[in-house]
Amino acid sequence: MNILIPHHWLLTHLDTDATPPDIQEKLSLSGPSVERVYEREGDSVYDIEVTTNRVDSMSVRGIAREAAVILEQFGIRAGLKEPDYHQISLEPDLPESEQLPLPAIRNNPAVCGRIMAIVLKDVDRTPTPERMARRLRQVDMNIHDSIIDITNYITHEVGHPVHAFDYDKIMALGGEIIVKEAEAGKAFTTLDGLEYHTVGGEVVFENPDGVIIDLPSIKGTLNSSVDENTRNILLLIDSVEASKVRFASMTHQIRTVAAQLTEKNVDPHLALPTLQLGVKLYRELCGAQVASQLFDDFPHQREPEAVFLTFSRLEEYLGVALDPKRISDILVSLGCQLNERENGVEVQPPTYRPDLQIPADLIEEIARIYGYHNLPSQLMAGEIPLQLQDGVDFALEEKIAQFLSNIGWQEIYSYSLVSQELADQSGFAAADHLKLENPLTEDQVYLRRSLWPSLNRFLSENPAAAGVSVFEIANTYLPVAGDLPRHELRLGMVSAKPYRRVKGDLEALLRHLFLDELIVKPQEGVHRQEGDLFVKVGGREVLIGSIFILPRQRTGIDILISALSGAAAGYPRLVPLPKSAPVIEDMTFTLPEKTYAGQVLETIREQAGAIAKVELKDIFGQNFTFTLTYSSPNRAISSEKIKPIRQKIADTLLERYGAHLVGEV
Amino acid sequence: MTKAMTISELELQIKALRQEFAADDGLPAGELSVKYLGKNGLFNQLAAVIGQLESTDRPEAGRLLNQLKAELEAAISKRLQEEEQQTEWVDLTIPGIRPPTGHLHPITQAISEITRIFERIGFTRVRYPEVDWDWYVFEALNMPQNHPARDEWETFFVDTPPHPERGRMVLTTHTSNGQVREMERLGQPPIRMINIGRTYRRQQDATHTQVFHQFEGLVVDKGINIQHLKGTIDYFAREFYGPEAKSRIRPFHFKFTEPSFEVDFSCHICHGTGYLEGQVDAETGGTHKCRFCKSGWHEVGGAGMVHPNVLKAGGIDPDEYTGFAFGWGVERTYSLKEGLNLDDIRLLYGTDLRFLEQF
Repeated sequence: MNILIPHHWLLTHLDTDATPPDIQEKLSLSGPSVERVYEREGDSVYDIEVTTNRVDSMSVRGIAREAAVILEQFGIRAGLKEPDYHQISLEPDLPESEQLPLPAIRNNPAVCGRIMAIVLKDVDRTPTPERMARRLRQVDMNIHDSIIDITNYITHEVGHPVHAFDYDKIMALGGEIIVKEAEAGKAFTTLDGLEYHTVGGEVVFENPDGVIIDLPSIKGTLNSSVDENTRNILLLIDSVEASKVRFASMTHQIRTVAAQLTEKNVDPHLALPTLQLGVKLYRELCGAQVASQLFDDFPHQREPEAVFLTFSRLEEYLGVALDPKRISDILVSLGCQLNERENGVEVQPPTYRPDLQIPADLIEEIARIYGYHNLPSQLMAGEIPLQLQDGVDFALEEKIAQFLSNIGWQEIYSYSLVSQELADQSGFAAADHLKLENPLTEDQVYLRRSLWPSLNRFLSENPAAAGVSVFEIANTYLPVAGDLPRHELRLGMVSAKPYRRVKGDLEALLRHLFLDELIVKPQEGVHRQEGDLFVKVGGREVLIGSIFILPRQRTGIDILISALSGAAAGYPRLVPLPKSAPVIEDMTFTLPEKTYAGQVLETIREQAGAIAKVELKDIFGQNFTFTLTYSSPNRAISSEKIKPIRQKIADTLLERYGAHLVGEV
Repeated sequence: MTKAMTISELELQIKALRQEFAADDGLPAGELSVKYLGKNGLFNQLAAVIGQLESTDRPEAGRLLNQLKAELEAAISKRLQEEEQQTEWVDLTIPGIRPPTGHLHPITQAISEITRIFERIGFTRVRYPEVDWDWYVFEALNMPQNHPARDEWETFFVDTPPHPERGRMVLTTHTSNGQVREMERLGQPPIRMINIGRTYRRQQDATHTQVFHQFEGLVVDKGINIQHLKGTIDYFAREFYGPEAKSRIRPFHFKFTEPSFEVDFSCHICHGTGYLEGQVDAETGGTHKCRFCKSGWHEVGGAGMVHPNVLKAGGIDPDEYTGFAFGWGVERTYSLKEGLNLDDIRLLYGTDLRFLEQF
């Protein structure tokens, strides 16, 4: 997440000679990334990305702490200032008789690690002073009045969210704050007037009657928040368990700054300085007086455990040895306490660094402060692993895509998640698809079983482009009971070109893979015209997929890449070149309607060993002209030998297909 | 009886033929060949008179005729060669006629290039499931149960019962599920893997699609350190973006690497400076900031030293071996190519043919 830090606000915690460009560059190299610097109302404002494990840097104070360490390493003078509010007393300002009783706070340590609270009396609703207002505007916050703005201001400065309750409302609601996990179905209204119902499990504050009076660590509720009549406030800081905060915040989509901080485990030790700064500002700006003792229930004090780092381990990661003194200096500058040993150092991280848990965490700290840019850059030596993965053939995939695109096919990438409509089109029932439990949009719900519906849709959405042909190589997902789906890598093709051209393109592709014979076997009794695709490999027919006719006379092809991979060859099987010239002649037959010409052609070829090749030359009405090539490996073929073959062909075709030869044998 | 022909008469006839041949200057070689050297051509007609010569004159006549034939052949052959050199006028500016060609999708082009770059330094390309168990996607990668990436707001879950040991079925949010799977495949280091595949996240805007591609590098061996990670990234930047390109690593955070890095490549627009050369702001007198990058650099993705817990999950002893990993978006990495001008990656998965035909 990002945080905005104005340069001069930063300087209230940081004593340095560094210029804004210095701070931007050096901080980015060794700490949080300063992504941009804006000029706002006469100051440079840093836009800083803080990683989720470093919520300690999500404040002016936190960034100052990082900057002080990093700038010094770059030789720029920098030191962290001790702010005056650390010395503020939280003792009541009023004699006991004028004090106000704290509400009864009943914490649940299982879901809330700390609660601190204090009552402030006679709080004036003064306008927010200009200096504070300017800083808040610089960090994109709205200005209300000082009662409200102080809470935002101190959260930004110190890093712990804080909430100001209307003290009198809390007392009128029963004077009790009960921390608990909500039951489902309870109504609450946030301070901006929006109504919600609990789903159960959100951590809430309730009064004795079971009314929700706050959504702690996320947002206040209307029934307990300050309003224009507020005179006394209860300033309260809580540490609700991080995962509980994220759950409630995401469930109801209430993504406040408070929620985004607390869901990342804010250091509960920050509660005290936060409250101190709050009390200081309410006293100064609103004339408020502390009217109660400080309430502090802190069942979950956290002290990170010590971590032992050996120097040899550090060298292993860095590739260079660092001086132990340098190592110690860096760790101490980051707030760690050290116990130095001969071969390493035992490190006690500060409470705000619970992310430092193992030696590698410390190596990261030392390396980044030392400077990644100071480490050399080199490729690794060593043995190169040669064991290829089974079941993948990247070269084949590339060859297919390259060839198809070269002969006019456009490659596309479509989403593997499809709508109910596209899932239905695939021919598999929606129930036979894997379905997402939590889809983001309705058009991406099912893991597709088939590529062609997406390809077909692509064609429909480009109606202006006539005769377009598109293909995609992608997985389909076949559900398997109790296991991961079978990922089937497929080649999908859909074209608006005439069928013969599409099939010809497929034949050319297969020829490119040294597969000469493509056989289409029409299926019977399916809802559309469809045929199985076989290729001949060493006399064996191998099923590789299917070809089918789609509405608008488009042609679709579906090929399983693994089947193709098993059949394809990387080089041809050469045959001896014939020594004599072949005899080439045509035969024309009149075929009955809906006769499969491919089968007729195959039948012709089977009639004699001397028939080397049969091609369909021409179609005129129902008259199909075939070109036959006769050849014999060793001697010339004579017309006398051919004549009986012609007769056999004519007889067989008449008998099998009712096809009449045009002309004489 | 006809009188026998004399040599001088023959010579006169040869002379006449030569003159006729010379006069036929404009005829093409093919016609000359037929007229003079054809079966019934003028030469053969002339040669037929040899029978009318005295036998004593015949050797001399033969010599003269052979000489004539050789002359004619040479002349016609020369003419033929000249004709072959001649060409018809062609309009060199006339538009060409192209065969129909399609286009490889830009993601395919990017993946091919990435694959080749890493194969040159010994990486083996692999492919792992896109729909995988929680164990490989999160648990084995040191991501705890309550990690935000594991909750239903960022990750797609499949509506099916969980595996008793490996947890829920998820759409892979990153190609990092290949890390432990590759350790399992090879059994032991050395490992140099490049895993490229489809990944899925619950987000959608100009720079994010629900489905996208990542490439994941993983190197595990004895003595692998941060310098090798830097070396590999520097090498990739130069190969993919050109010799001018620079890269850098900065601190970042991932659960499955420690230390973790953000990887930046220098911006090709402002050459890593963050400011546009030669453009001075009229009001402030300062230079213009580059709007294409964050202060001279583009964030490309994550990297880091493999977390010891991840090595353990893959059955590798973290005390003996170290490793590094990186995982970047293919679309994002490709979109930073100089001059490509691809600023909405949704177009890559869209149905606009005019867009795809530019690749």
